[in-house]
Amino acid sequence: MGEAEKIEVRDITRIERIGAHSHIRGLGLDDVLEARAVSQGMVGQKDARRAAGVVVQMVREGKIAGRCILLAGEPSTGKTAIAVGMAQALGTETPFTSMSGSEIYSLEMSKTEALSQALRKSIGVRIKEETEIIEGEVVEIQIERPATGTGQKVGKVTLKTTEMETNYDLGNKIIECFMKEKIQAGDVITIDKASGKVNKLGRSFTRARDYDATGAQTRFVQCPEGELQKRKEVVHTVTLHEIDVINSRTHGFLALFSGDTGEIKQEVRDQINNKVLEWREEGKAEINPGVLFIDEVHMLDIECFSYLNRALESDMAPVVVMATNRGITRIRGTNYRSPHGIPIDLLDRMIIIRTVPYTEKEVKEILKIRCEEEDCIMHPDALTILTRIATDTSLRYAIQLITTANLVCRRRKATEVNTEDVKKVYSLFLDENRSSKILKEYQDDYMFSEINELEEETTATGAGGGAKRRVDTGDGDAQPMEH
Amino acid sequence: MSYQHWLNYLQSAEKNSMISNKLRKVLYKFPDGQQMAEEYNMDTGVVQRRAWRKCKQLMGEPEWEIELGEEPRQLNWAAGNKPNAYGAGGGDADTMSGAEFTLRESNTAPLLTKRITKKNIEWRIRNLPYPIDMYNVRADAEQRAIVVRTNNKKYYKVISVHELDRCGVPPVQANISTHHQFNTLIITYQKPPILCEMEAQVLLLLKDVETETDVDDLLKGLLAK
Repeated sequence: MGEAEKIEVRDITRIERIGAHSHIRGLGLDDVLEARAVSQGMVGQKDARRAAGVVVQMVREGKIAGRCILLAGEPSTGKTAIAVGMAQALGTETPFTSMSGSEIYSLEMSKTEALSQALRKSIGVRIKEETEIIEGEVVEIQIERPATGTGQKVGKVTLKTTEMETNYDLGNKIIECFMKEKIQAGDVITIDKASGKVNKLGRSFTRARDYDATGAQTRFVQCPEGELQKRKEVVHTVTLHEIDVINSRTHGFLALFSGDTGEIKQEVRDQINNKVLEWREEGKAEINPGVLFIDEVHMLDIECFSYLNRALESDMAPVVVMATNRGITRIRGTNYRSPHGIPIDLLDRMIIIRTVPYTEKEVKEILKIRCEEEDCIMHPDALTILTRIATDTSLRYAIQLITTANLVCRRRKATEVNTEDVKKVYSLFLDENRSSKILKEYQDDYMFSEINELEEETTATGAGGGAKRRVDTGDGDAQPMEH
Repeated sequence: MSYQHWLNYLQSAEKNSMISNKLRKVLYKFPDGQQMAEEYNMDTGVVQRRAWRKCKQLMGEPEWEIELGEEPRQLNWAAGNKPNAYGAGGGDADTMSGAEFTLRESNTAPLLTKRITKKNIEWRIRNLPYPIDMYNVRADAEQRAIVVRTNNKKYYKVISVHELDRCGVPPVQANISTHHQFNTLIITYQKPPILCEMEAQVLLLLKDVETETDVDDLLKGLLAK
């Protein structure tokens, strides 16, 4: 029991981590889809944002399937930021799947399976269904983990209504749900019996005085009445992929070997597509198409592109947004070069949004927003220097310096980052330019420098005549030809 | 006050029947997609088990919901704790097997079973340790159900009486008697005459359903060859 409490405390005190794009809360557009200069964490890039706003509108209407949008632009011009902004603007109801182009190269499933799973994860289905749910107030919760730290966790929970009280044993998966939702005694929760989804409705009124301070979003609700188990008509949004998995699992013990993420047969998918269409006609279900975002799309190879060509023509396809920072480069898996590393026939089906480099003023705004996000107070002079650094080197490097300068500042027990701190971290940490300059100067002193020279010679001869061995030139990605 | 509707519904179903172990098993397939299975005792003609299979939308294969009789899952309760005891629970494998179960009532939780005898409908609620005067069993005509409460607010259950629904009679308080013994609360409801009549009619209906010969005899015959 003591062990269980310790775990809970650790989970609750875990801070929210700050990611590269956690300052973005939307696209920063007004009602008529005009981009505001600085809004919702977005700065500049007005044309791209306006275009993204139109795309968001298209997704919301949900009438058009299988459109493809490419975000193209130089590195660190806010492509991923725009995609995150689109996700935020669409809200939690619309499925937004974000993946990186390299994610499809998994050993567990084929590339096209990974892609079609991603495509199906981006189509939501709102279903009205009568399910058995358990609704009650948590009286007591115990989660025990074996002393070795690994292995099965054991959990028990006592739930009550105004009329009754029952003990439940918890399975491993649902324990995770309980931990994630941070459920504790006094919460009123619902558990979907079939899917094991745990939902926190609020805190019980009788427990309102447990703590002096409560968050603004804490809701107080009455303890439920009657029986714990109820049949309720609920509307839930599931993705097509989830329906696939549920229905392929019941194929008996064979599912043991393929697991949850194994390949799903095309027949199962076809059946489900038909079923969903049937439900839609009966008015039981509504299709809620979403967005699939593929970052670093140049990492996909020719097989994936031709698969996408076909997959996008299905009327169950989501809107696909891709991002790339490459210019004219080799299409992976071929020797042909093409704009953005994407075959022309797929490019032809796309509309392309271009992002442009930020101006100095915009860079300053972004740095200011990042400072706020990281709780860092920065002197205006320091910010100017940082902006200068950002324009000379890169925006990402300058953002890294915010964190480090803040730490240096705290070391000298000050609250405001000044120019000295920024200078200090600038000398402590090299940016890419300075580092490569040093490398060029001192190349000979590093290890294996002779070998490198040899390699370069072979490259030169290989490119010149014969081509005994193909060595990657061009974009520098070491991309294997065959798999 | 009529069971004609229920009788028509049974009549509309496609029925299969077979006999094994002195039990006559009948499977009904209704035109609306539902299925019902019944087991009749050959000696007394009393239905011992009845289960429904209702169409579900999302969660794969529908499961059998037991309306009457003991649940077979009690037999493999221990198997549920073994890892990878997959498929042991038949249709219930998904929720019951090993580490795979999501949530279940602890085995000390009260368990309700229903039984039909010649004269009565009986419910047994096991694992209820409180003395008899703690319980409050009422017939609720409005909900068409029997409501069980405890004074200490530990147990509450709305038991709907499908048999009475089928002949359109509300439950009556006077027919209810309760008894408590060995941690078990027994609720007995005396069958009204109309219900006995309905059961007789159903049996008459089943008489016309062709029955396969005793499966055990059939097996024995095959093995002897």
